[in-house]
Amino acid sequence: MFKVKSNLMGRMGGGGGGGMGGGGGGGGGMGGACYTYPASPATPGLATPDVVYNRGIYMNGSITMDDGRSIRIWGFTDGGGGMGGGGNGMDMGNSTFPSPAMRVYEGEIVHSNLNVNGMMWVHTIHHHGIEPSMENDGVGHISWDVDGAYTYQWRASSAGTYFYHCHTNTVLHAEMGMYGALIIDPKPNPNDPAGTKRAFKDGPIYDSEVIWAVDEIDSRWHGLSWDAGTCGADVGLNLLEPDYFIITGVDGAQSALTAPGISATVQVGERLLVRYICAGYHPQEIRLGGLTADIVASDGRPLPNAVSVQSFRAISAERYDMIIDTSEPGEYIIEMDINDWVTGQTWGTAKTKITII
Amino acid sequence: MKRRDFLRVSTLGAAASAMGGVSLLTWAPRAQAATINKTYYITDGYIEQPDGTNVYFRGYSSNSTTLNVPGESLIVQEGDTVNITIVNTLSSSHSFVIDGLVDSGSIRGGRSSSFSFIANKAGSHLFYDKLNTPFNRLVGLHGGFAVMPQGKSNELYEGSPQFVQQYFWIFNDIDPVWHDEIRRGRTPATRYIPRYFTINGLSGRPPGAPGSHDPNIDSLTDPRTALHGHIGDRTLIRIFNAGKADQSVHTHANHMEWLTENGQIRPDIWRKDCIYLEANKGAIDAIFPFHAPMDAYPPVTTGAFPMHLHTEMSQTAAGGLYMFGSMTDIYFE
Repeated sequence: MFKVKSNLMGRMGGGGGGGMGGGGGGGGGMGGACYTYPASPATPGLATPDVVYNRGIYMNGSITMDDGRSIRIWGFTDGGGGMGGGGNGMDMGNSTFPSPAMRVYEGEIVHSNLNVNGMMWVHTIHHHGIEPSMENDGVGHISWDVDGAYTYQWRASSAGTYFYHCHTNTVLHAEMGMYGALIIDPKPNPNDPAGTKRAFKDGPIYDSEVIWAVDEIDSRWHGLSWDAGTCGADVGLNLLEPDYFIITGVDGAQSALTAPGISATVQVGERLLVRYICAGYHPQEIRLGGLTADIVASDGRPLPNAVSVQSFRAISAERYDMIIDTSEPGEYIIEMDINDWVTGQTWGTAKTKITII
Repeated sequence: MKRRDFLRVSTLGAAASAMGGVSLLTWAPRAQAATINKTYYITDGYIEQPDGTNVYFRGYSSNSTTLNVPGESLIVQEGDTVNITIVNTLSSSHSFVIDGLVDSGSIRGGRSSSFSFIANKAGSHLFYDKLNTPFNRLVGLHGGFAVMPQGKSNELYEGSPQFVQQYFWIFNDIDPVWHDEIRRGRTPATRYIPRYFTINGLSGRPPGAPGSHDPNIDSLTDPRTALHGHIGDRTLIRIFNAGKADQSVHTHANHMEWLTENGQIRPDIWRKDCIYLEANKGAIDAIFPFHAPMDAYPPVTTGAFPMHLHTEMSQTAAGGLYMFGSMTDIYFE
């Protein structure tokens, strides 16, 4: 699809064009992958950035679930480099899960420097919901898959909630945890008191915020290699049978009920902004436990009119920004059902809590 | 049961493209209502999937020797009289239904049936076989039908946001075990596990894959499916889900303007990069605006970007083969 593709394919070696059926799926090396196009070209029109994020890769992280089980996680590190990361439990050095958030202001030129730092695998960064040039859209397979370093360049045009994720063998890499929040703030309004926070330009003011990136984990998938299935092996990527349900990287069984940045305790009347990201693949239904929220934006775009909800549903990669009505004191348990995309039956429920005092 | 074994999609797609492509892209409004005559032949056969597996399908085909899945789309004008003839070449009974517009009733195997209706509901509709629900629909008996508002070439409904061209995206998900049971005349009783995923009957092929860039095989280049436009070429997409899985329709490069949901005009137009498409005849109308990508720096007006479902299991075939699922390309020319 991209012009560079034909050039790449001539010197790709074992990268693309592999046979169908059999093969691959298991191997860790580049030679095991099909239809990936390793390259690290120069960024067209490279300009001086206003903000820079350096992102490396970790492939051997893990999180410990509430039942004590450790699940392998991949992700982006802060600061670039970092083949290793990893470790046990939640302490993965700079290898956090979800990957570290990016947060920029409208109008800023952003550089996301991806350094995959090794020849064992390829990855990309796709800034989901951002409208960049095709060279900076980060779609592997049909453009290129970064084997060294690449600078994604774009300029933030519309305040709101986004996320970034790997777009190589996406079905697996995003499930493995290769995503992080991406937030664009409006430029401060000179007529607002210093420190005023708005959801978008001339949008509602908020005092505090939480991010709910709601995702499901099928632990079977988390034993696969980075290139699993790309050459035609049946590795079951059409069948997602989740056994864990997480909110922003934290087990929604118990831990998310009290996790900072997910759970919130606010004063009556405090304006709480929830940035909800459907980070999973199956449909979700979110019940606010008796609270009412005004949805003010979705997918990084303000709504023409806010919509008042006590529950809502979402599908993969949608985002909803909402202001919670905090007029009534109480403890409110937020329940997020992950429902099967075919049967609608609930695979599991992640929970967090909003306390209004 | 009459079958044409191993009828390949390569020949079928060519027929569908030739007949379907042109009519989708051009629409001339008429001052007078017209009479539209269309014959569909219910045929069956096998379509090769990305891993080489041949899977059984039935279709509303454009002639008795092809297998068209989905059936060729029709665009008519509000007030037109539509005469449909169904020639059922199979031994099983089938029907032709557009909810709210027409129901042929059961057409027995080997029989033909002609019926008429007035296209009095502007908007996007799915025609499908309501018998043996949902199996006949899933196995391929479905297609797109659009009614343009009277005298309009650029509106979905009276006063809607305007567009300059229009496409159908009809998604399906396929469990080959179910398809084979249907072929045998049995009712599938196994757990439904979709294994192939299509848009307008085809699946994606990444560069370098067999069939890549063949518009008869590769949904990324199928002219019925891939969007082509210059800046300002606002494009209406009539989106249906014939399958059994909920999906997330995701465009790169531009947000979509979301106009309708399951036939209902939405109270506000939201700009979305992902839209919830329900299973089992779920429907969406959206406009892809073809504006310059807002975050590109330096600014650009050309490029090629994907549309894919973000329910990522749908981006696979046969349990792997990422990028061989329901996706296409959007070309800024």
